[in-house]
Amino acid sequence: MADSVQRNAAAKSGSSQTIRELLVYALPYSRLFIGVIALVIVYNLTQVIQPYLVKIAIDRYLLVRNAVLAPLVEIGVVYLGITLIGLLANLFQTRVIASAGQQVVRQIRIDLFSHIESLSMAFFESHDTGRLITNVASDTTRISQFFTQFLLSVIRDGLTIVLVMGAMLILNWKLGLLSALVIPVIVAISLVFRPHLHKIYSTTRSRQSRLIGFIAENLTGMRIIQVFHQEKKQLGAFNHLNLPYQNANVNEFRWDVFFNRSFDLLGNMSVAFMAWAGGMAVFHHSIKIGVLYAFISYIQQFFEPINSLTQNWNTLQSSMISAERVSAVLATPPLLLDPPAPLSPDSVTGRIEFDHVGFAYDPARPILRDINVTIAPGQFIGIAGETGAGKSTLISLLARFYDVTSGAIRIDHVDIRDMRQEDLHRWVAVVQQEVNLYSGSIADNIRLFRSEISDTQVKEAGRITGADDFIRRLPQGYQTWLTPHGANLSAGQRQLLAFARTIVLDPKILVLDEATANLDAVSEIAVQRGLMEVAKNRTTIVIAHRLSTIRFSDCIYVLDKGRVVESGTHEQLITGRGYYAEMLQKSSLAQHAEIT
Amino acid sequence: MGQKLIRHFFRDHLGQYLMAIVTIGLSKVLQVQIPRIIGNFIDQFRAGITPLMIERFAAEIALVSIGYVALFGVGQFTVGKLARLFEGDLRRRLFGHWEYLESHYFEQHTVGDLLSHVLNDVPAIRQALAGGINQTLQAVFLFTATLVMTITDINVSLTLVSLIPLLLIPAVVVKLGPKIRRQSRVVQETLSAMAGMTEESLQSIRLVKSTGNEPVESQRFTAKVDTIYENSMRLVRLNTTFQALIPLLTGISFAIALVYGGALTLDHRITIGSFVAFTVYLSMLVRPLMQFGNVINIFQNSSASLLRIETLLQAEPQITDPENPHAVPVHGPIVFHDLTFTYPEGSEPVLRHISLTVPEGSTLGIVGRTGAGKSTLSRLLLRELDPPPGTLTIGGVDIRDVARADLRESVTYVPQDGFLFSSSIGQNIAFPVEREDPAQILQAAHDANILATVQTMPEGFDTVVGEHGLTLSGGQRQRVAIARALIKSHSRIVILDDSLSAVDGKTESTILDALQALHDKGRTLIITSHRLSSLRLADHIVVLDGGEIAEYGTPAQLLRNNGFYARLYAIQSQGSENHG
Ligand SMILES: Nc1ncnc2c1ncn2[C@@H]1O[C@H](COP(=O)(O)OP(=O)(O)O)[C@@H](O)[C@H]1O
Ligand SMILES: Nc1ncnc2c1ncn2[C@@H]1O[C@H](COP(=O)(O)OP(=O)(O)O)[C@@H](O)[C@H]1O
Ligand SMILES: [Mg+2]
Ligand SMILES: [Mg+2]
Repeated sequence: MADSVQRNAAAKSGSSQTIRELLVYALPYSRLFIGVIALVIVYNLTQVIQPYLVKIAIDRYLLVRNAVLAPLVEIGVVYLGITLIGLLANLFQTRVIASAGQQVVRQIRIDLFSHIESLSMAFFESHDTGRLITNVASDTTRISQFFTQFLLSVIRDGLTIVLVMGAMLILNWKLGLLSALVIPVIVAISLVFRPHLHKIYSTTRSRQSRLIGFIAENLTGMRIIQVFHQEKKQLGAFNHLNLPYQNANVNEFRWDVFFNRSFDLLGNMSVAFMAWAGGMAVFHHSIKIGVLYAFISYIQQFFEPINSLTQNWNTLQSSMISAERVSAVLATPPLLLDPPAPLSPDSVTGRIEFDHVGFAYDPARPILRDINVTIAPGQFIGIAGETGAGKSTLISLLARFYDVTSGAIRIDHVDIRDMRQEDLHRWVAVVQQEVNLYSGSIADNIRLFRSEISDTQVKEAGRITGADDFIRRLPQGYQTWLTPHGANLSAGQRQLLAFARTIVLDPKILVLDEATANLDAVSEIAVQRGLMEVAKNRTTIVIAHRLSTIRFSDCIYVLDKGRVVESGTHEQLITGRGYYAEMLQKSSLAQHAEIT
Repeated sequence: MGQKLIRHFFRDHLGQYLMAIVTIGLSKVLQVQIPRIIGNFIDQFRAGITPLMIERFAAEIALVSIGYVALFGVGQFTVGKLARLFEGDLRRRLFGHWEYLESHYFEQHTVGDLLSHVLNDVPAIRQALAGGINQTLQAVFLFTATLVMTITDINVSLTLVSLIPLLLIPAVVVKLGPKIRRQSRVVQETLSAMAGMTEESLQSIRLVKSTGNEPVESQRFTAKVDTIYENSMRLVRLNTTFQALIPLLTGISFAIALVYGGALTLDHRITIGSFVAFTVYLSMLVRPLMQFGNVINIFQNSSASLLRIETLLQAEPQITDPENPHAVPVHGPIVFHDLTFTYPEGSEPVLRHISLTVPEGSTLGIVGRTGAGKSTLSRLLLRELDPPPGTLTIGGVDIRDVARADLRESVTYVPQDGFLFSSSIGQNIAFPVEREDPAQILQAAHDANILATVQTMPEGFDTVVGEHGLTLSGGQRQRVAIARALIKSHSRIVILDDSLSAVDGKTESTILDALQALHDKGRTLIITSHRLSSLRLADHIVVLDGGEIAEYGTPAQLLRNNGFYARLYAIQSQGSENHG
């Protein structure tokens, strides 16, 4: 019991906190909002005056003896003038609030994107990109509706309700008070529907995002589905997600209709009620017929803002859900923070020290244990080891995608946790096996859209890595347009680009994580020649399966089950009867040669 | 196609649609009674009224409203529900059609583009079928009913004169509508450009982080967001102008009614009750007139979406199954007969004059530089690409003459990139088979040398591999992909396209041992690699260079030839020279 009360309280404070977070973004525009309120008041006054004018026309000019037309024409003209004023006020109020809303959303988008980019790698492993894209693209759009639709509606419709109520009370306070009876009924209906609708909306949204995630993944892996001709199986899985989503959609619509029709009914019943109460008042001569007309008009006008508010209630619901998701992302702190007083040397020589480094992704399963390796500036280091030995993990630690669990990693005697990550990443560059391309020219892909990197530098990087060869052969050379799924580049060509884009940044420490695995031997030799050149004045770490790649290293470290089990030069290692010698034998062509 | 789908859907649900039309129509007829009742009510005051009559008028209004709301709710829900059923069905069709299209199609379109069909086009069509139809029905019935009431009950000339400004409403809608729509499409495009850039950036997040490129990415993103802002504001300006014009026209119309209606009342040509009723009717006319405009916009908007969906559903795979497929022969060699292949949009052949025989039960190794055409060769064998007629046969039957499902049942494949689904390791391995049989999964995992690794994981085969298998290391992912291929133990032909590049030598060696077992069972193996150690099982080796067969023979023959292969051998055995 106490528990559920607490949970309710938490949920409530959660959503009011969300609203508060949204409003913080609106704060810089608070002056504009005051202007909007002024315009809204003008607009609403013009709306409220209109039935009043008709009431005057009826009571003063139509229901009298010897009436003449002239005053009626005057009223008509006044009516037009008022309409025009209201219209201009409305025009400006909408534009101003839309502009403020769009600027707010612009800021939210930029903040959200920058924040996501700043989060640590662990975050990206536990959150699928599809959902993050939804956060940036659709959730922020829904939030913008909070400002452009909901907020405007609250201001405009809220004021309308107040003014209409006020007008009724002024016309006849007794009837006015009677009309006010509808307010508790409206509140009651909302209270009954609200929690239910909220639940229904969030069910629909979560089913939708699961379905979209499924489709996105299956489109990416369509080749595999087809090659294994599992179309039927996947279509079954699709239906398994599609039908519940469809049902949720129908259910949501059912409740929407129910909710909106309830208010519709209430509005019409109020007219009936007003006809009775007002009719009785006219019968007892306490009001004139014109007043009855005005009351019937007002009670109808009263429901317009209510309807609009309930319509926008849906907007509020969906933007709240979106806002909750966005603020959940924004509230995720980057696990790896820059220190308050960073110790970032202006330049480094490239000395690396792994000092008793231990690491686990999951505390129950240590991946690296007690790694002690010191690499002198400018050395060329090889790392070998079975798949899963922890080689890539070690590199992730050096690039500070994760923080070590124990021990420390130092570059030039400075713990990398004491450096600004920005600086660390300027010094350490990692080339991976998977190559992601951007939509953009080859040159842009190499310079990663950095405007400070010139075309000459790009070409130089291409030349060093040997990518230049194939790029020149493309019809548009460095200006050839690529897409993320650039099917017209082979894996090796993509790898060369990845290599070039690292070189162009001129890092002090260069890491190749199985980067050449996809290259054929001839290309690899070309790359390796380039590598030897760029390795001259930097520390280079190469992870490779093909031991020929790291044969000439100053030192080779062999990793097994997260420990360094051997180290030394190639010559030293092969004389031993250790792990390296065994690996070498397994991968060597000796067995091949036996066949020959 | 798309229109036909809609027509068929209407036909299949004709009863429900007719019911909706009738209920909405009746509801609108009831709705327009309310101003009339109010008018009569007010007239009754001048004729003399009793409390009982007042109560009766009030009750009449209440009853009519209940009928109107109930009927309208039922009609509205029916139409909306049907539209959502259609929407779900359309999504299923899209997905089914995508499964039917070949890889060539997916190279031409990004996943983002394809998703936008599901995210934008399908809902746009739904909107036309739900909101569009609902609003049309409402507008038509309400407009007609109101017009009938004002003309018969009140006064023809008053109706016509006051209506003039209102009739401009649909014109305004139709004039400004397309402009608004075009602008909103621009906004939509800028939004999806932003989504696309986000996707790109998040997929390369490791690169972004390791190069410290976050500020550049944020800058690029900001530029996208700024275009969205500008275009959205342009849209807002158009929209507000539009929304201001409507009340202006209504206001004029109301002023005319006030003056002209007042004059008619003074002349006793209409009663005061009719005057009051008319002002109410006039406000009821505004909404249907706006809806007419809206509906036109919704339909035009969705017609663009419908067109896109139609184009998609009409896209036909260029590779089709023959009408009378042959069975795939169980025995016999794979033969390439002077095969020359050019990609559909390529200008030069990537494979030239390939003539090659792979005897049943033998192992072929394919080596060559990147871009030599090795992957293309395997894709031809899977018929992901169409070889020219008569150039590729299995057991004497042209692979164009067999059904792809049968072909792909007898060929199993390990791709270069090792794509995995974000399900569990067990589900990934069992992907090619109907039923997940734990014993089979275990065997396949064992053969791919991944069993020990999986068993160290706390959840074993139930471990979920995360998006694109991200939580596994490259070599582990590749071995799961190998297990996935090996679970199809009945497939006679096994293709490994550069699948061992991500595993270390020791693992490679163990996997090759498992492949050796397959070889011993009489399977035909085709192993593509640029690493010679992967080819130690090969009976024959073909060296591809620039799409042509540069060398062919047994490994021993090639070594003696002193060609590309021998050079490669020399290079790659450097690492082990002291050893060998
Ligand atoms: N993001 C991750 N979360 C959990 N476990 C991981 C993650 N990445 C790798 N691992 C595990 O860590 C171990 C070492 O992986 P990795 O460093 O990629 O090996 P290598 O590069 O030597 O092949 C493997 O057992 C792998 O399953
Ligand atoms: N979908 C495609 N469309 C056009 N050209 C392609 C496509 N895929 C590959 N190519 C081209 O075909 C050639 C051979 O590629 P591929 O068979 O992937 O080589 P390999 O597997 O030997 O590295 C390359 O020049 C490549 O650019
Ligand atoms: Mg690795
Ligand atoms: Mg290939």
